[in-house]
Amino acid sequence: MKRKIYLYGRLRDAGLGSSVALDLPPRATARQALAALKTALGPRGALLSGCALAGEDAVLAPSDRVPARGILAALPPVCGG
Amino acid sequence: MRRITRAALKPAALVAAVSSPRRGAVVSFSGVVRAVHAGRRVTAVAYDCFAPLAEKELERILRQAEKKWPVAAAAAHRVGELRVGQASLAVAAASTHRPEAFAACRWIVEQVKRRLPVWKKERYTGGEGRWLPGCALHRAGSRA
Repeated sequence: MKRKIYLYGRLRDAGLGSSVALDLPPRATARQALAALKTALGPRGALLSGCALAGEDAVLAPSDRVPARGILAALPPVCGG
Repeated sequence: MRRITRAALKPAALVAAVSSPRRGAVVSFSGVVRAVHAGRRVTAVAYDCFAPLAEKELERILRQAEKKWPVAAAAAHRVGELRVGQASLAVAAASTHRPEAFAACRWIVEQVKRRLPVWKKERYTGGEGRWLPGCALHRAGSRA
Protein backbone atom coordinates (compact mmCIF):
# COMPACT_ATOMS: atom_id res chain seq x y z
CA MET A 1 0.00 0.00 0.00
CA LYS A 2 1.16 3.52 -0.80
CA ARG A 3 1.16 5.82 2.23
CA LYS A 4 2.30 9.39 2.65
CA ILE A 5 4.18 10.18 5.85
CA TYR A 6 4.45 13.79 6.94
CA LEU A 7 7.74 14.94 8.41
CA TYR A 8 8.17 17.29 11.36
CA GLY A 9 10.91 19.06 13.27
CA ARG A 10 14.44 18.13 12.28
CA LEU A 11 13.08 15.69 9.67
CA ARG A 12 11.98 18.67 7.60
CA ASP A 13 15.66 19.39 6.99
CA ALA A 14 16.35 15.89 5.64
CA GLY A 15 16.02 16.95 2.02
CA LEU A 16 12.72 15.14 1.36
CA GLY A 17 10.42 18.12 1.85
CA SER A 18 7.44 18.04 4.19
CA SER A 19 6.28 14.52 3.30
CA VAL A 20 7.39 11.32 1.62
CA ALA A 21 5.32 8.64 -0.15
CA LEU A 22 6.31 5.10 0.78
CA ASP A 23 5.31 1.70 -0.51
CA LEU A 24 4.48 -0.36 2.58
CA PRO A 25 3.55 -4.05 2.77
CA PRO A 26 -0.10 -4.82 3.57
CA ARG A 27 -0.79 -4.67 7.32
CA ALA A 28 2.59 -3.03 7.87
CA THR A 29 3.57 -2.16 11.42
CA ALA A 30 4.86 1.21 12.61
CA ARG A 31 8.30 -0.39 12.96
CA GLN A 32 8.22 -1.45 9.30
CA ALA A 33 7.04 1.99 8.21
CA LEU A 34 9.88 3.69 10.08
CA ALA A 35 12.35 1.23 8.54
CA ALA A 36 11.06 2.13 5.08
CA LEU A 37 11.36 5.79 5.93
CA LYS A 38 14.94 5.25 7.10
CA THR A 39 15.75 3.70 3.72
CA ALA A 40 14.17 6.69 1.98
CA LEU A 41 16.28 9.06 4.06
CA GLY A 42 19.46 7.32 2.89
CA PRO A 43 22.57 8.85 4.46
CA ARG A 44 20.39 11.03 6.68
CA GLY A 45 18.65 8.02 8.21
CA ALA A 46 20.24 8.75 11.58
CA LEU A 47 17.81 11.64 11.90
CA LEU A 48 15.16 9.00 12.69
CA SER A 49 16.84 8.13 15.99
CA GLY A 50 14.24 8.51 18.73
CA CYS A 51 11.42 9.16 16.27
CA ALA A 52 7.92 7.70 16.53
CA LEU A 53 5.14 7.17 14.02
CA ALA A 54 1.75 8.68 14.84
CA GLY A 55 -1.72 9.01 13.45
CA GLU A 56 -4.08 11.90 14.09
CA ASP A 57 -5.23 10.48 17.42
CA ALA A 58 -2.21 8.86 19.04
CA VAL A 59 1.41 7.82 18.85
CA LEU A 60 1.77 4.27 17.52
CA ALA A 61 3.74 1.58 19.33
CA PRO A 62 6.32 -0.13 17.09
CA SER A 63 4.16 -3.26 16.85
CA ASP A 64 0.95 -1.37 16.01
CA ARG A 65 -0.47 -1.75 12.51
CA VAL A 66 -0.31 1.35 10.37
CA PRO A 67 -3.89 2.60 10.04
CA ALA A 68 -5.25 2.23 6.54
CA ARG A 69 -6.60 5.77 6.46
CA GLY A 70 -5.82 9.16 7.92
CA ILE A 71 -2.71 11.24 8.29
CA LEU A 72 0.55 9.58 9.27
CA ALA A 73 3.44 11.55 10.73
CA ALA A 74 7.02 10.84 11.74
CA LEU A 75 7.69 12.66 15.00
CA PRO A 76 11.16 13.41 16.37
CA PRO A 77 11.67 13.85 20.12
CA VAL A 78 9.48 16.76 21.20
CA CYS A 79 10.40 20.02 22.91
CA GLY A 80 7.34 22.20 23.14
CA GLY A 81 6.69 24.91 25.64
CA MET B 1 -11.28 27.79 21.79
CA ARG B 2 -8.42 26.33 19.71
CA ARG B 3 -5.58 25.24 21.94
CA ILE B 4 -2.95 25.24 19.18
CA THR B 5 -2.80 28.59 17.45
CA ARG B 6 -0.65 30.84 15.31
CA ALA B 7 -2.17 33.90 16.96
CA ALA B 8 -0.79 35.73 20.00
CA LEU B 9 -1.73 33.95 23.23
CA LYS B 10 -4.17 35.54 25.66
CA PRO B 11 -3.27 34.31 29.16
CA ALA B 12 -5.98 36.51 30.70
CA ALA B 13 -8.60 34.65 28.69
CA LEU B 14 -7.37 31.33 30.07
CA VAL B 15 -7.48 32.71 33.62
CA ALA B 16 -11.03 33.91 33.02
CA ALA B 17 -12.01 30.50 31.64
CA VAL B 18 -10.96 28.65 34.81
CA SER B 19 -11.99 31.25 37.39
CA SER B 20 -15.12 31.02 39.49
CA PRO B 21 -16.30 32.41 42.84
CA ARG B 22 -15.66 28.98 44.41
CA ARG B 23 -12.01 28.90 43.32
CA GLY B 24 -9.82 31.02 45.56
CA ALA B 25 -6.50 30.12 43.93
CA VAL B 26 -5.70 30.82 40.31
CA VAL B 27 -2.20 30.00 39.04
CA SER B 28 -1.05 30.94 35.56
CA PHE B 29 2.16 30.25 33.64
CA SER B 30 3.53 31.80 30.48
CA GLY B 31 6.49 30.35 28.64
CA VAL B 32 8.26 33.13 26.75
CA VAL B 33 10.98 33.10 24.08
CA ARG B 34 14.19 34.21 25.77
CA ALA B 35 17.09 36.11 24.24
CA VAL B 36 19.93 33.76 25.21
CA HIS B 37 20.11 29.97 25.25
CA ALA B 38 23.24 27.98 26.08
CA GLY B 39 25.32 31.11 25.63
CA ARG B 40 24.00 31.91 22.16
CA ARG B 41 22.02 35.02 21.33
CA VAL B 42 18.56 33.99 20.08
CA THR B 43 16.68 36.22 17.63
CA ALA B 44 13.57 34.04 17.19
CA VAL B 45 12.19 30.54 17.66
CA ALA B 46 10.21 28.71 14.98
CA TYR B 47 7.67 26.28 16.47
CA ASP B 48 6.65 23.34 14.30
CA CYS B 49 3.65 21.22 15.29
CA PHE B 50 1.64 18.17 14.24
CA ALA B 51 -1.59 20.00 14.97
CA PRO B 52 -4.22 17.22 14.72
CA LEU B 53 -2.51 15.18 17.42
CA ALA B 54 -1.34 18.18 19.44
CA GLU B 55 -4.90 19.45 19.89
CA LYS B 56 -6.05 16.08 21.17
CA GLU B 57 -3.02 15.49 23.37
CA LEU B 58 -3.31 18.89 25.03
CA GLU B 59 -6.97 18.20 25.71
CA ARG B 60 -6.02 14.83 27.25
CA ILE B 61 -3.38 16.49 29.45
CA LEU B 62 -5.89 19.04 30.74
CA ARG B 63 -8.54 16.43 31.49
CA GLN B 64 -5.95 14.24 33.26
CA ALA B 65 -4.92 17.20 35.43
CA GLU B 66 -8.56 17.75 36.34
CA LYS B 67 -8.79 14.11 37.44
CA LYS B 68 -5.57 14.24 39.48
CA TRP B 69 -6.47 17.46 41.31
CA PRO B 70 -9.71 19.32 42.05
CA VAL B 71 -8.92 22.04 39.52
CA ALA B 72 -10.21 23.63 36.37
CA ALA B 73 -7.44 23.85 33.78
CA ALA B 74 -6.87 25.54 30.43
CA ALA B 75 -3.86 25.92 28.15
CA ALA B 76 -2.82 27.08 24.71
CA HIS B 77 0.36 26.68 22.65
CA ARG B 78 1.41 29.08 19.94
CA VAL B 79 3.18 27.84 16.80
CA GLY B 80 4.95 29.58 13.94
CA GLU B 81 7.80 32.08 14.17
CA LEU B 82 8.00 33.83 17.55
CA ARG B 83 10.28 36.68 18.50
CA VAL B 84 12.07 37.16 21.79
CA GLY B 85 9.57 38.12 24.48
CA GLN B 86 6.56 36.51 22.83
CA ALA B 87 4.69 33.78 24.71
CA SER B 88 4.70 30.26 23.29
CA LEU B 89 2.77 28.50 26.06
CA ALA B 90 0.10 29.68 28.46
CA VAL B 91 -1.45 27.56 31.22
CA ALA B 92 -3.99 28.40 33.89
CA ALA B 93 -5.24 26.24 36.77
CA ALA B 94 -7.75 27.23 39.42
CA SER B 95 -8.76 25.48 42.61
CA THR B 96 -10.27 26.13 46.00
CA HIS B 97 -6.79 26.31 47.56
CA ARG B 98 -3.34 27.07 46.19
CA PRO B 99 -1.46 23.73 46.60
CA GLU B 100 -3.62 21.96 44.04
CA ALA B 101 -3.54 24.90 41.63
CA PHE B 102 0.26 25.19 41.77
CA ALA B 103 0.74 21.43 41.43
CA ALA B 104 -1.65 21.09 38.51
CA CYS B 105 -0.21 24.07 36.64
CA ARG B 106 3.34 22.75 36.96
CA TRP B 107 2.31 19.22 35.99
CA ILE B 108 0.57 20.49 32.86
CA VAL B 109 3.67 22.44 31.79
CA GLU B 110 5.89 19.39 32.26
CA GLN B 111 3.47 17.13 30.37
CA VAL B 112 3.30 19.60 27.50
CA LYS B 113 7.08 19.49 27.21
CA ARG B 114 7.13 15.68 27.24
CA ARG B 115 4.05 14.79 25.23
CA LEU B 116 2.95 17.53 22.86
CA PRO B 117 4.11 17.00 19.25
CA VAL B 118 5.83 20.39 19.02
CA TRP B 119 9.40 21.18 17.98
CA LYS B 120 11.38 24.37 18.14
CA LYS B 121 14.16 25.66 15.97
CA GLU B 122 16.14 28.47 17.47
CA ARG B 123 17.49 31.14 15.15
CA TYR B 124 20.64 32.92 16.22
CA THR B 125 22.37 36.18 15.48
CA GLY B 126 24.15 35.57 12.20
CA GLY B 127 21.23 33.69 10.67
CA GLU B 128 21.98 30.07 11.51
CA GLY B 129 19.43 27.89 13.29
CA ARG B 130 19.23 24.66 15.28
CA TRP B 131 16.45 22.21 16.15
CA LEU B 132 16.51 21.67 19.90
CA PRO B 133 16.75 18.15 21.33
CA GLY B 134 13.76 16.80 23.21
CA CYS B 135 11.87 13.84 24.65
CA ALA B 136 11.12 10.78 22.52
CA LEU B 137 7.39 10.07 22.17
CA HIS B 138 5.88 6.72 23.12
CA ARG B 139 2.35 5.46 22.96
CA ALA B 140 0.84 5.60 26.44
CA GLY B 141 1.85 2.44 28.26
CA SER B 142 4.50 1.36 25.76
CA ARG B 143 8.19 1.81 25.12
CA ALA B 144 9.85 1.65 21.68
